[in-house]
Amino acid sequence: MPETTSLLDTLNELLPEILKATGETLLMMAICLSAAIVIGGALGLLVFLTGRGQSLERFRAFNLVANGVINVVRSFPFIILLVAISPFTRVIAGTSIGPLAASVPLSIAAIFYFARLIEQTLRDVPRGVIEAAEAMGASPLQIVRHVLLVEARSGLVLAVTVLAVSFLSYSAVAGVVGGGGIGDLAIRYGYYRFQTDVMLITIVLLVVLVQSIQFLGQWAARHVDKR
Amino acid sequence: MSQTASSPLSPPPAIELRGVSRRFADPGGRLVGVLPTSLSIPTGEIHGIIGFSGAGKSTLLRIVNLLERPDAGEVIVHGQDLTRLSAAGLRRARHRIGMIFQHFNLLHNQTVADNVALPMRIAGENPARIRERVKACLDFVGLAEKADVYPGRLSGGQKQRVAIARALAPEPHVLLADEPTSALDPRTTLDLLGVLADANRQFGVSILLVSHEMEVIRRLCHRVSVMEGGRIVEQLDIADGRIPEGSRLARWLSDFGAVGPAASPSPAGRPDAGTGHHFALEAAHA
Repeated sequence: MPETTSLLDTLNELLPEILKATGETLLMMAICLSAAIVIGGALGLLVFLTGRGQSLERFRAFNLVANGVINVVRSFPFIILLVAISPFTRVIAGTSIGPLAASVPLSIAAIFYFARLIEQTLRDVPRGVIEAAEAMGASPLQIVRHVLLVEARSGLVLAVTVLAVSFLSYSAVAGVVGGGGIGDLAIRYGYYRFQTDVMLITIVLLVVLVQSIQFLGQWAARHVDKR
Repeated sequence: MSQTASSPLSPPPAIELRGVSRRFADPGGRLVGVLPTSLSIPTGEIHGIIGFSGAGKSTLLRIVNLLERPDAGEVIVHGQDLTRLSAAGLRRARHRIGMIFQHFNLLHNQTVADNVALPMRIAGENPARIRERVKACLDFVGLAEKADVYPGRLSGGQKQRVAIARALAPEPHVLLADEPTSALDPRTTLDLLGVLADANRQFGVSILLVSHEMEVIRRLCHRVSVMEGGRIVEQLDIADGRIPEGSRLARWLSDFGAVGPAASPSPAGRPDAGTGHHFALEAAHA
């Protein structure tokens, strides 16, 4: 049993570990958010555009398949997905432990999560505005650029915010299988070794991160919304 | 390109619909839309389409720029049969067909100037030309000082003026107006009709306008097509602001209790004051 040490002593003692864990978490977040925004964003956009009544409706087959795949991937509890795709992870990252390896399942989950989020956000753009652009002779790409990304931009910023908060928590789950990061710290010290103070520190750290992301996201969304 | 039937003396029609039809089921399962219909609108004319809800007037209007693709028939705008064009060809043709809507359909996250610039950006015009046209068109609708404002800060009438400036910016041959004043109060409606009449006079743009408001049609249009059950049942010359007696339109007006100055106006007595009544046909099915 550890002697009664103050929270501050623990903090001091574990500071290098905490910094390292925070760095790992940020690395995982950076990778999976980038993948989600680029690939998931494009996928969500395509699913929206191939939906009923939209400009690429003639590719409805793509819409049906993509919708199905998104639903299947999103049905997996994250921890099951993590384990299920570990052979694939080993191929991509060369290993199945550490933050880089954890980024593989995180990215896959984030891509499909964000695709759905984007598709739903774009539905808020009034049909009439899209139609006005069609009447002007806009191509599907021009509609995306001049109408969808402009009119939905505050919703898109909020979608990234929700994505970031969700995947901060998912990245903690990745700690269970040795993914590293803040969640890993919480499990190794706080849970396995019953160090409540470490658990407390990691929770405070996560709360601060979530609050910052949320605050920043809402500020940016308000800033770009001229409606 | 298809030949349009016209004598060498008169220019080809601005819009010619030949036997266009478009049928679809409304939410109640009833077949609505447009039965095979023809309509020819000479260059420079302001043509109104009036009728009850479900008569097919909006569908007919939307066929002109192929927002609604007809099941059959030819759609000839400025001498070009749009139904035969490729996707890219249709987009090019649409660059010169303006459209305004009941609910304006402006981009709320773009300034007034950027909204007006949009169709020209889509058409790939160069920035100097866009700046010049945006300024000219905002001057024309009297909103030059609102160039840097977002539409959310404008009144309904101002929003529709911006929409008109946007539609006129690429110098369209034809302007389609889908219930453009139906969301506006009577005084604002009159102002806007003035703007549309000016656009027609100054730029020679032909206008096809759909409305269920008799006053709007009577004040603005040279001719009117009356639609019922998906077909044009009557076509009248109303350039002098009179609804010819004995016409179906005159009967409608008397049936729905809106007979008065609107039904038989004296040419001199067309007050342009903002106090004019709205003899809306919608009163009948409200």
